[in-house]
Amino acid sequence: MNCEEIRRSVQDYVTRELSIEDRRLFDAHLVECAECQRELALMTALVSTLDHQPVLEPSPGFGQKVLASLPRQRSFALSPWWAIALAPMLAGLVWLFRIPLERGVAGLLGRLGVSNVTVPAVSLQQAGIAAAAIVGLGLLMAAGGAVFCWRAYLQE
Amino acid sequence: MSKNVESTSEEVLVSRSARGDEQAFGVLVERYKGMLYSMARRLMKDSGRAEDAAQESFIKAWAALPGFKGESKFSSWLYRICYNTCISELRKRKPEVELDEAMGVPVEGPAQEFRNRDIQSTIQEEVSRLPDDYRAALTLYHFNGLSYEEIAKLTHKPMGTVKAHIHRARAVLKTRLVERVGWDNLKEVMWQ
Repeated sequence: MNCEEIRRSVQDYVTRELSIEDRRLFDAHLVECAECQRELALMTALVSTLDHQPVLEPSPGFGQKVLASLPRQRSFALSPWWAIALAPMLAGLVWLFRIPLERGVAGLLGRLGVSNVTVPAVSLQQAGIAAAAIVGLGLLMAAGGAVFCWRAYLQE
Repeated sequence: MSKNVESTSEEVLVSRSARGDEQAFGVLVERYKGMLYSMARRLMKDSGRAEDAAQESFIKAWAALPGFKGESKFSSWLYRICYNTCISELRKRKPEVELDEAMGVPVEGPAQEFRNRDIQSTIQEEVSRLPDDYRAALTLYHFNGLSYEEIAKLTHKPMGTVKAHIHRARAVLKTRLVERVGWDNLKEVMWQ
């Protein structure tokens, strides 16, 4: 190894990332080069200093401040149980309004040209219930997606 | 806080915190506040903002704990949250300082300045002048004790880039130390 190669590999030498053969070549050069000995001594001291940086402490009361600012409803808002709890409620609502919902959805699809079914005579109330159910379901799915993304972001 | 909780194993504390036990989480906060604050301080270069970032990291960790599956060490997971919080803050704050520009900033004070100062604080000062990417990689490697692979995963950068950032950062620090302190003074202080 020459001085230039020593300068390039001095960090790997200090952090023990050089191969045995390169380490041997490095040592051989070092014996006869005062300049490279200086380079090694400086890098060793620098790496050692960086390895032993002190742990800094935040201001007193930091721990209490963190605990005081924790959101209280975490376990419900960010747990999958909310979806399990809401599912039967949604199913119950769908069952309760099954007849107007069925007519409403068919009417909406027919008006939108999505299906060829004959458009039944849909009252404003029935169409409203169908639209509200669709929007509600969409919002629920969007909320679920948002919670999922937020949790994924926090864990990233 | 009872002594009993304080001596509980980390695994139990994490699991209790995930179920909403604030007392258990409080012990984790006490255990990791120094590491998280130090990491944030080194990344953010400002004590007030670092404390905010550390606090935000703990709050995010608390919220995300029910989803923590223990696939990585709790400390690595916490560091990742803190790193992401700090980086997102740094991105909001300013455009990154280029290395050449940072190196060109005139260094305050003559070489003698070092005689009255601790080498540690001089190095810290120089670390804080490094570009964000270099400083982050250097902090995660030396202070948090993460491997190149863990840093690459955390920062979403190739392992070669991480290693190059750390090498370049050390080379810059070495050059600046010699410039500021002078080899003779440095030698005296390092081997006294």
